Order: sequence, then C-alpha cells, then structure tokens
Amino acid sequence: MAGSPGTHMEQQEPGATLDDGMDSFLEKFQSQPYRGGFHESQWEEEFEKIPLFMKNSPSEIDPLENPDLACLQSIIFDEERSPEDQARTYKDEGNDYFKEKDYKKAVISYTEGLKKKCADPDLNAVLYTNRAAAQYYLGNFRSSLNDVTAARKLKPCHLKAIIRGASCHLELKNYVEAVNWCDEGLQIDATEKKLLDLRAKADKLKRTEQRDVRKAKLKEKKQQDQNEALLQAIKARNIRLVAEAAEEDEDSASEGLSELVLYGLSSENPCGARLGVDDQGRLSWPVLFLYPEYAQSDLVSAFHEDSRFIDHLMVMFGETPSWDLEQKYCPDNLEVYFEDEDRAELYCVPPSSTLLQVLQHPRYFVKALTPTFLVCVGSSGFCRNYLRGKKVHQLDSVPFQTTSPVPALLHCSGYGDGQPGGEVEKEFPGKKLLHC
Amino acid sequence: MSETSPKAEAAKLLPFLALGERADLQAAAAQHVLALTGSGPGRTLLAGQAALLRALVELAVAPPPAPARDAARALVNLAADPGLHKPLLAAEPRLPVRLLGCALDPQWPWAEEAAAVLANLSREPVPCAALIEALAAAEPGESGLERLVRALCTPGYNARAPLHYLGPVLSNLSQRPATRAFLLDRNRCVVQRLLPLTQYPDSSVRRGGVVGTLRNCCFEHRHHEWLLGPEVDVLPFLLLPLAGPEDFSEEEMERLPVDLQYLPPDKQREPDADIRKMLIETIMLLTATAPGRKQVRDQGAYLILRELHSWEPEPDVRVTCEKLIQVLIGDEPERGLENLLEVQTRPSGLCEHFKCYFPVLDRPDAPTFPV
Repeated sequence: MAGSPGTHMEQQEPGATLDDGMDSFLEKFQSQPYRGGFHESQWEEEFEKIPLFMKNSPSEIDPLENPDLACLQSIIFDEERSPEDQARTYKDEGNDYFKEKDYKKAVISYTEGLKKKCADPDLNAVLYTNRAAAQYYLGNFRSSLNDVTAARKLKPCHLKAIIRGASCHLELKNYVEAVNWCDEGLQIDATEKKLLDLRAKADKLKRTEQRDVRKAKLKEKKQQDQNEALLQAIKARNIRLVAEAAEEDEDSASEGLSELVLYGLSSENPCGARLGVDDQGRLSWPVLFLYPEYAQSDLVSAFHEDSRFIDHLMVMFGETPSWDLEQKYCPDNLEVYFEDEDRAELYCVPPSSTLLQVLQHPRYFVKALTPTFLVCVGSSGFCRNYLRGKKVHQLDSVPFQTTSPVPALLHCSGYGDGQPGGEVEKEFPGKKLLHC
Repeated sequence: MSETSPKAEAAKLLPFLALGERADLQAAAAQHVLALTGSGPGRTLLAGQAALLRALVELAVAPPPAPARDAARALVNLAADPGLHKPLLAAEPRLPVRLLGCALDPQWPWAEEAAAVLANLSREPVPCAALIEALAAAEPGESGLERLVRALCTPGYNARAPLHYLGPVLSNLSQRPATRAFLLDRNRCVVQRLLPLTQYPDSSVRRGGVVGTLRNCCFEHRHHEWLLGPEVDVLPFLLLPLAGPEDFSEEEMERLPVDLQYLPPDKQREPDADIRKMLIETIMLLTATAPGRKQVRDQGAYLILRELHSWEPEPDVRVTCEKLIQVLIGDEPERGLENLLEVQTRPSGLCEHFKCYFPVLDRPDAPTFPV
C-alpha cells in the first residue's frame, strides 16, 4: 500500500511462532533504521490519516487517497453480508447522523436500511421509528406519521412509535387522533409519562380549539343578525337599491333586496365606509359627493339619515377647497342634484332636506349601498351648461329649521369637536366621475 | 289431588330450566320465573329455592338458544331486592365473577343486563366486596378495574350492548377506598377518561353513575389540588352540565374555563335533577380546603351557579345551589376550620352543620326491569 506509514511484517514461515517472527523482525533494526515511521515534522497529520486514530471521518472516501478507510468501508457495506447485517449497519449509521442532528442524512441511512427488506420485523420497525423521529425533527410530520404507522404494522406494541405518532398528530392539530393514540399506548404501558403528558396537552388544545370554533360561530351569527337588521331597516324605509356595476344588467332588477344588501355589506366600500345603525335604529350611510366641474369628490363616511345636506355642506365647504380655482364653492351657492340614470333626468335636492327624505324619493336608486350626489355652483357657467338639455325636477323643499339640532358630525382636519356621525374626507384622490 | 303450594310449583319449574333442556321449554320456564321476580312474595319464594337460583344463573350466562336474556332480567329483579343477595350468593358464590365476565365480554349480547345485575348487587357491602375480589382476580396484564373503566369509556366496546349500567357499578365500587385509589392514581390516566361522560347525552344512567363516581372520589381531599389542576381539570366537566345558553359579557366570558365559553344558544342543562344535585355536591366537596375554594372561585364557578340558581325548578336542588354559592361568596372560615372535611369529630352542633354540607356517600337507585 503506497504512502502508508505502516510497518511491513515479513511473511512468516509455516511452523514459526509469532514470537520467533517478532524477534527476527526486531533484530533487523539493530542494523537498519526503521523507515516506516512518522516524519517528525508532519507526524500529526499522518497520525490523523490512520483509520483507527481518525477523529472525523471524511464524508467521501477516495480509495486512492485513503485506501485503508476505503477498505474498511467496503467491509462494512459489503453486499455479500446478510440483509439483516447490512440493515443494522445502516441503522447505526443513521443513529450516528441523528446524534449529530444531521437529520437529512439520517433519513437517507434509514431508508437504505429499509431498502434491504431484511426479514427481521423488529429491526424494520426500529428503522421506521427512527426515520420517523428524524422526519419529525425536520418538520415533516406527515411523513413521520406514515413511518410510525408502518412501524406499528410490524410491531403493534412498539411504544416509541406510538409516542412519536401522538406527537405528530399534536403538531398536525389532529387532537382527537392524538388522544386516541395516547390511549392506545397507555393500554400497553399505563404509566408511560410521555403519553400522559401528551394526552393532557392534546386534550386541552382540543377543548381550546372547540372554544375557538364556538366563538367564531357566535361572531358570524351576530354579524348575520346585524345584516338582517340593516336589511329590515332599509326595507321599512322603502329605499330602492340597485347592484353595483354595469355588467349587472337585466338580472339586477330582479335580484332580491336581501342579496343586494348582503352583497353590499360584505364587499366593503373602497374606503372602508359602511352602512351603520345607531342605538335608536337610525341609519348612517356612506355618501359620495361629486363635483363634476373639477372632477373632484368627497366621501362622507357616515351621513346620518336625519341630518341635512346643508349641515354637511357647511362643514365641508367651511373653507373653499383647494381645487376651487374660482373660490366660488360656498355653502350658500351650492346646488345638490341626483341623477335618475334610467331616464337621464336630474333632480334638484333642497339642501335643507334630510338624507332620508331624498333616499325615499321614488326615483332615487342607491347604488352599491353608497348614495351619490352631484354638486355644483348654481349660478356658474359650468352649471348652466351641465344642466342644459337635461330635464331637471325640483324636489319639494323642506322648510329650513334654524333650531333643529345638528346630529353629531365628525369632521376631520381641523373641523369641529369629533362627535360621531359623519366623517368628511377631502380630496378623495383619483376618483373619477362615475357618470355624467 | 293435593293442593300444589307455590313452593312446589316453583320446584316444578326446575327441570325445565336445566341446561340442555328443550329451548322452548326453557324459554317458557324462564319467563315464568321472570314473572315471579316481579313481586315481593314471588322473590321471597325464589329466595328459598337455591337449586332454582343456580339454574337461573347458568341460563343467564349460557349461549343461544338458551333464554339468557330473560334469565338475566330475572336476576336483575332479584338483585334489586337486598333480601335476595345472601340467597343468591349462597346458591352461586361465583355469581359476581361469572356475570362480570359477561358484562366485560365485548361479544356478549346481554352484557347490559349482566351489568345491571352487578349494579344492583354492588349496592350492598357484601356483594360489593365480592365484586371487588372478582375484579382483582382478573388475568394478569390488565386489572379488572382497568377493563371495567375501558368498557365504560370506549364507545362501541360492545357492538350489541350499550353498557350504561357499568356507570352505577363503578359508582358503587367507588365507595371503597381501593377503587378510589385506582381511579385517582396520578401515574395513570383513569379519572380523566371519565370526565367527558358527564355530558353523555344518551343515558342518564351512565351520566349518573359517572357523576356519582366523581363525587365519591372528591371525598379524597388530599387529591383536590391535583383534581382541580391542569392534569385532570375536573371543574369544567362538573360545571358544563349545569351551564345553560348564557349570554355573558366578553369580560365575564374570559373568566370562565375554556369549555364554558361561548356556549351555543341551544345548550341544555342536565335534565335529571338528582344528577344536578350530585354535581353541585361534588363541587361543594372540592371547596372543603382553602386552596380548593380559591381554585373553584378563580375558575368562575360563581357565574355558572348564579345562572343555574335563577333557572333551577327543583327546590331541593336550588337549596343545595344556594349553599354552594354561600361558600363561594362568603368570607373565609376561621382558622382551624380550613379543611371542612376533617372537622367531623367536633361537638355535635358543628358536626350536624357540616353534615348537611357533605352528604354521606350515596348510592344510585336500584334498576329493575318491568316484568
């Protein structure tokens, strides 16, 4: 063997004893120096190369580099050994990798062992169980479960497999199965502490999960009840709804009121505003104001149905908005319209009306649960142009009541005192004109 | 022709009850005996017929076409009468063993009847002791008690018999310290498996048996902390049957044990008033020590009992409920009275007071079969 610092014993003569051979061997060195020793400067490296003294085994064994080691390897993994022996070797190899926490390699080793299909069911059960453990630490709980199931088929009373299986079920949140496996294991060893602990843990998690399901169900029911109440409120007010987009066509007219409401309630308005109801059963709607002259808009997220347009306009236009180039959008100048899309007619809304009064108008259709109104300055050129050629109806105005209480309005950016009821968002960015 | 006495009549039945006799004759004879067991005098008559009793037992454990079911039912009625226990055991000393074998046999179709006989027998101390002995003598590997608990707790243990009467059997057995020691073994999982059965919907017999067992176990105050702790967590299982579809506030809800939170609107309380009373008594037992009282309070028992009290239709259950509520909301007792269970040897006044808090280990009513 080239390169090996080993000694070379001479061929012994038959009949000679070991001592004789040894003596003659040693006598040689009285006249010649021993040449097979370590070199002084690199004795440690050479030491490490001897298989017996290796601290770490190389992961790949090159027969040329390390013939001794290759030799040993081929002895261990000799195909001519029995399948049981080979499997056992792979098992040991897997265990070594396992101890080093190299679970991937451990799985490979165990798999090789199982491939031998040796006839020893105990050994195979152990290989499966050990592989299951490695899979468990890799987070592959389903694979782990498959392995322990296979192990149990071979050895039904293999407690380690049962414990591992219960742990897998626990990780997979199959709490009922986890408890069942623990019970099966406890029938084999009624005092196995790991099973007792696992069982208690799984049972508690199961009961907590059941609570979570109940909680979610109750929440859903509450939501449904709320939606139902809103539905009833809208029905009671005789307010007409239509579905959202243009695709919704001929069918939308026949679509039930409830479906529209429920669809509208579940799909939120892009800015998160939603139809709401207060303690007295009064509704608040998200209302969109469009300003066609400048292609701007405002969203009042909760316009109380009993509050008047003028009250909101006073707040929204307390200061003229930045897009109002001619500074003419003042509450006194503003005119509010809604459009009857079907007939392409406009209706002028007296600002002293409440929202409810307008919504109840027989030609007002609420789209996507968001009432929309057009606002422009009555005396302006734009307005005259806009209205030209269109049929404009006047709604009966409601007498302006100076003493009517203003329902609480919440305004952002410097207005008022933050009472609940409505929120004005200036400059709803990018909102294009819906229709004109 | 001499007048045949009832005794002679009964004796005439004997040959027809023998094993190996024609099935139809056996059946008729068995039915006749069953009819006799329906009345006091009939039972007294049979008490004196040792051979007949023995034959009855043989029939009760015999395979088809023997009228095993009717024979077993006759035994149930006989065993319901404490006066018959001695003659029965004298006639067939191995009666408990043999019936136990049937009751715990997963294939035996009349296992429920066998269990009912045992339930009746075990109410009295002598047969109860005999039954305990029979359980102890089971095969090695699994104790008889373990097998009994398993039969009770495993759904589908016997495909042909529901085995509800194993509940009262266990309850009667739990009057003995040895049984309680087994049930409360911390190194095993025994009592924990009984807990879900407090909600078992299909049988008040089973529920009553389990609750009775738990109540007897709670006389062991040394185990209270463990019972109330996470390894067993007994309290939610005692409160759940007493809870209704209450709408507690979010804050109140979070104080309750997980099992009692967000109960659905169709939640029913335990319909049997006796079982409700036993449940309250069990919780009362758990309040005997100061730490136990604290745990019961902390786990929100008061909320459940308060709602129960306003719903409870039965006056004596309501009174029991009030007493427990008093303990929960009352001030801590003076020093020296912290463990109310141990204060039994005090002068008579106090003793009487505590007696009404802690009823004697009670036994469920004896089941009988209509004739």
